[in-house]
Amino acid sequence: MESLGVLLLHPMNAYLEQELDSRFRLFRFWDSPPDGRAEFLRANSSAIRAVVGNAGYNADAALIDALPSLEIVASFSVGIDRVDLPKCRERGIRVTNTPDVLTDDVADLAVGLAIAALRKIPQADRYVRAGLWKAKGDYTLTTRFSGKRVAILGLGRIGLAIAKRAEAFGCSISYHSRSEKPFPNYKFFTNVVDLAANCDVLIVACSLNAETHHMVNRKVMDALGPDGVLINIGRGALVDEPELVSALLEKRLGAAGLDVFEHEPFAPEQLFSLDNVVLVPHVGSDTEETCKAMADLVLKNLEAHALNKPLLTPFSGKRVGIIGLGRIGLAIATRVEAFDCPVNYYQRTKKDCPSYTYYPSVVELAANSDILVVACPLNEQTRHIVNREVIEALVPKGLLINIGRGPHVDEPELVSALVEGRLGGAGLDVFEDEPNVPEALFALDNVVLVPHVGSGTHETRQAMADLVLGNLEAHVLKKPLLTPVV
Amino acid sequence: NRKGVALLAVVATLKLATMAAAGGKPAVLLLRPVDAPFAAALRDRFRVLDLYAPGQALPALAFVAAAAAVPEPPRATVIWGGVRVDASFLDAAPSLRCVVSTAAGLDHIDLAECARRGVAVANSGEVYSTDVADYAVGLLLDVLRRVSASERYVRRGSWAAQGDYPLGSKLGGKRVGIIGLGNIGSRIAKRLEAFGCIIHYNSRKPKDSVSYKYFPNVHELAAESDVLVVACALNKATRHIVNKDVLEALGKDGVVVNIGRGANIDEAELVIALREGKIAGAGLDVFEHEPKVPAELFSMENVVLSRHVAVLTEESRSDLRAHTIGNLEAFFSGQPLLTPVHADSLAQ
Repeated sequence: MESLGVLLLHPMNAYLEQELDSRFRLFRFWDSPPDGRAEFLRANSSAIRAVVGNAGYNADAALIDALPSLEIVASFSVGIDRVDLPKCRERGIRVTNTPDVLTDDVADLAVGLAIAALRKIPQADRYVRAGLWKAKGDYTLTTRFSGKRVAILGLGRIGLAIAKRAEAFGCSISYHSRSEKPFPNYKFFTNVVDLAANCDVLIVACSLNAETHHMVNRKVMDALGPDGVLINIGRGALVDEPELVSALLEKRLGAAGLDVFEHEPFAPEQLFSLDNVVLVPHVGSDTEETCKAMADLVLKNLEAHALNKPLLTPFSGKRVGIIGLGRIGLAIATRVEAFDCPVNYYQRTKKDCPSYTYYPSVVELAANSDILVVACPLNEQTRHIVNREVIEALVPKGLLINIGRGPHVDEPELVSALVEGRLGGAGLDVFEDEPNVPEALFALDNVVLVPHVGSGTHETRQAMADLVLGNLEAHVLKKPLLTPVV
Repeated sequence: NRKGVALLAVVATLKLATMAAAGGKPAVLLLRPVDAPFAAALRDRFRVLDLYAPGQALPALAFVAAAAAVPEPPRATVIWGGVRVDASFLDAAPSLRCVVSTAAGLDHIDLAECARRGVAVANSGEVYSTDVADYAVGLLLDVLRRVSASERYVRRGSWAAQGDYPLGSKLGGKRVGIIGLGNIGSRIAKRLEAFGCIIHYNSRKPKDSVSYKYFPNVHELAAESDVLVVACALNKATRHIVNKDVLEALGKDGVVVNIGRGANIDEAELVIALREGKIAGAGLDVFEHEPKVPAELFSMENVVLSRHVAVLTEESRSDLRAHTIGNLEAFFSGQPLLTPVHADSLAQ
């Protein structure tokens, strides 16, 4: 097997670099002088089939254009705002990131920054180190962290981990997200200004894209107010940085804890003299344990690519959520994996499938999938398992695919969701009252309706018929049945 | 000069007598400075004999004696950690039947002596516990994730000039050994569990209500922990409870957090252990000889230093005010104190 040529964009991690060097053919982007980059890429373009980037340095349009043999971008980060995704889609370049393994560390830092900012720990440390602590009673009063109203912008993996930690301090949790999530204890706000107006600490934990750029703007910061605290562990550009600086300097915003900045490694110098700001150099996932786990994920994804096996943490495909991971569900999973779709699933008990993400309820599965597929058996518990709540949790523009039984889905609810445009679309092979199909669906062009043909191929019907005959014969001959249903 | 002091004493006594004659409200001997809201709240309910009143120049014990000499002398006093309540203090004010301390610890009160004289003691209860627990978590996160250290790096422009800051250490999965599972220790435990820590503890006796692993002594606790948090009171049994042995047992990847009292740790040995890399780091809010902090610590990147502020929030201030007045009102109305302290609750 020809060794995969990998371009590492930056000396981001010694272990990663070492392993890339020993397992693949490694090209170090910084080996070339800054003005010799184009030449470097030209000289190696036929060999470079993979790029490893990170939060700060990733595969942008120019780099992708310069690498005609590029097949995969494996990012040493969970945020891939610096990867040109449309260009990757256009060129058929696969993208992987490092979700989950860094969730805990980033959430830990978010809370650590909030306590540090509110209780002014770095300030106390500076004070003592400067030899200024001269009298026992010398202090300033700060404000308690426990019990504060914590608002989270983005309730994904990291946002949820932050919520769980803040709850242990008796904090109330509110959030804003693209869609409402199935957590009744957390208050959902439809817009960020209202969210900010109703909290004490606002933690930015969403991904950066065109819609979220500068989401925390002047209006939001004014709503957060002179007693409010802003914590950012997402991406610098989620916050309008010049506005943030003036809000802090003019005391329109109470305090801030920042791990990320618009122009790293430059943090706004006007903030350096402030005592109500905690500034750390993008260390959210910077622990030995997590960096190694991230590196291992990058390496495993590259190896999987090289060996034509399913990627472990693909970013590119639609997220497919499968209800029921039995024979059919698993067969669906292996097929969609080949399209780089991340696979999520729900069933009564968790299965030992480390590359598929388990969700303990159908609503949570729906909330985290782009396409929801019903593939479980029909019984008392699974009747209407896809109900209004589930349909509403399926992200705006989500798709429902039913190849199970009609009664798995609350059909009237489904029809109104589709007719009202609340659901992105559906592919339906089964209906509650076959052969009757709700006529309201006929006028829609985002729905595919087929007449219970899931097993409708000559080959399969023949095999099914053979099984039926075989079972009957076994029964008559008093032999063990071929496919008994226990 | 002696004549001047005597004159002042007389004036003070007369002033106090006048105040006492005002009648109605019970007298309270106030031996700690309080902010305006606290002072107002006390004055609303009591006749306050205030050591820190503007113009009041008598030193503490003389003031106490003068207060004890007025008609209807104070039966209750509000003190803080700076007032030693021992035999000579109690001798100076025999009228006192109740000592309400606003301090977090009790090391300044001779509980046995108070018990012998039938003087009730009330402490600050759980008023500080939440803020101290929050601070302990904040210190630990700061040490492990290098918040203050990397902050210094950013502020001096090194991020742009020198690149990424060295890696820290993950909190999740660490075994945290809490010394003292009282009001503060149990809150620390609850918070750290949400970060995925495994809780171990040492206490006078194991607690049936928790499922955390108990260790009968701090040495064994340290041997099986990655972090040691000092959250116990200071008394004879706990002085230098974290000593050279314990630090060695904790080991070179271990971190110490102290939000108890400086003297819970053998500070000299701690500095040596840090200097020689025998432990990985420390977060310290308290020191043996405050405000003196061993200068050697100032240059260490793996240490976070704070100035005994774990309790100091606006919220704990107002909670303390309400709590202190609650104890005083309970005493004067013959009800049980909200948070009485007994002589046998000496150790944690």
